[in-house]
Amino acid sequence: MIVAVETAPTPAPTATPLARPALGMIDLLLRDRERMLARIHQGTDLAAIMRTMIATIAVTMAIVGAALGSYRGGVQIAYAAIKLPIVLLGTAALSAPALSAIGAALGRRSRLSADLALVMAALAFGSLLLAACTPLIMLGRSVDLDYHRMILAVVGMFAIAGAAALRMICRGVALEAAPGWRTAVVGLCVVFSLVGGQLAWALRPYLVRPRAPEVMFLREVEGSLFDSVTGAMRSARGIYERDAAPLGRATP
Amino acid sequence: MSVATQAPFPVPRGLAIALAAAGPVAVGGILAARTHDASPMLAAPAIVFGVVAATGPALYIATAAAGNAPPLAAVIRAFGIALGAFGLALAGLILPAAFVSLSSVSVGTTVAATSGVVAIAGYLGLRRLASELKAAGSLDITAGASLAGGVVFVIWAIATASIAGRLWWDLAVEVVS
Repeated sequence: MIVAVETAPTPAPTATPLARPALGMIDLLLRDRERMLARIHQGTDLAAIMRTMIATIAVTMAIVGAALGSYRGGVQIAYAAIKLPIVLLGTAALSAPALSAIGAALGRRSRLSADLALVMAALAFGSLLLAACTPLIMLGRSVDLDYHRMILAVVGMFAIAGAAALRMICRGVALEAAPGWRTAVVGLCVVFSLVGGQLAWALRPYLVRPRAPEVMFLREVEGSLFDSVTGAMRSARGIYERDAAPLGRATP
Repeated sequence: MSVATQAPFPVPRGLAIALAAAGPVAVGGILAARTHDASPMLAAPAIVFGVVAATGPALYIATAAAGNAPPLAAVIRAFGIALGAFGLALAGLILPAAFVSLSSVSVGTTVAATSGVVAIAGYLGLRRLASELKAAGSLDITAGASLAGGVVFVIWAIATASIAGRLWWDLAVEVVS
């Protein structure tokens, strides 16, 4: 009788042929990112990877958005669940070509499809991490964590997920050991931050105070995130624009 | 000579150089759409090619005088590749710049976005020019023999970027005001 006994711990079943290939790909992304990066580097099945990663981002960010919207509740749950996937997918679509273009300008043999798949896979990984954080968001809601602490907690979660996604992009591009890959990644980060910041700012709000009497899907188009930040800095220095900012308290 | 024999870009070099012309037109178009003044669409590519044409010979003359002159053909080839790199970089950055600009009502954001992408693409073009000239044997600021060539290049790059930046800034201020 032959009995198959494994005497040593085996690596995680990275290539387990799950019933659905898409789930297998997500499993691979979570368990063995090196192998996922190698597949992208070799250009294996890029279309399927892209489809799966886009679907993953859409679903997980909708879940995260719904969790954020639940802080206020009501229709804001649906609003945030719709807007958050748009922010991430839109930013990726607008920014990923920058990775290829900057790399190509410096002599990297970049391919737009592979770079897009890499960016989407990294963002999908970050989205999955965020989805894993949703119980913490719900916990904050259930213990009535105040609005500003909730904001800080969410920023922390997004920072962790963003750092993990960035690390995956760096490792994916570094596999090529091509000239200018660091500059290409830095360029992608700059473009992604600016575009993502502006798109997220344009589609705000996501997290709304529970006592807010009504919520809106979108605010009116105003200046930009850049204008808002510079305006806030001016206000912090006591310089108010009367037409645009609330006046300071009158002194007796 | 170690000038690269492989294709310098993943696209034909002619297309890359065409992008170097089309990219500034598109950047000028973003500025024009915001300010309702079409002049940036003509002025932007004119600044790029005009400044390169005006300052390029100076780089060849100065490196030759410093004793590090690569063959003229290698210099011309390096400039062609650098312009292509500039065009490719702009092609990848134009969409984000257009989005940031058009999703805002602020003219300042448009100026910042367009100036930013031109500056990034210009930096990448200069960096590619340096690497191509280094491959041609004229630049290596870490090697004593071509230290002078490296210093000449740095001075030339600062001067060229400053001239182009000043012209671009004057153009932006003029159409915005």
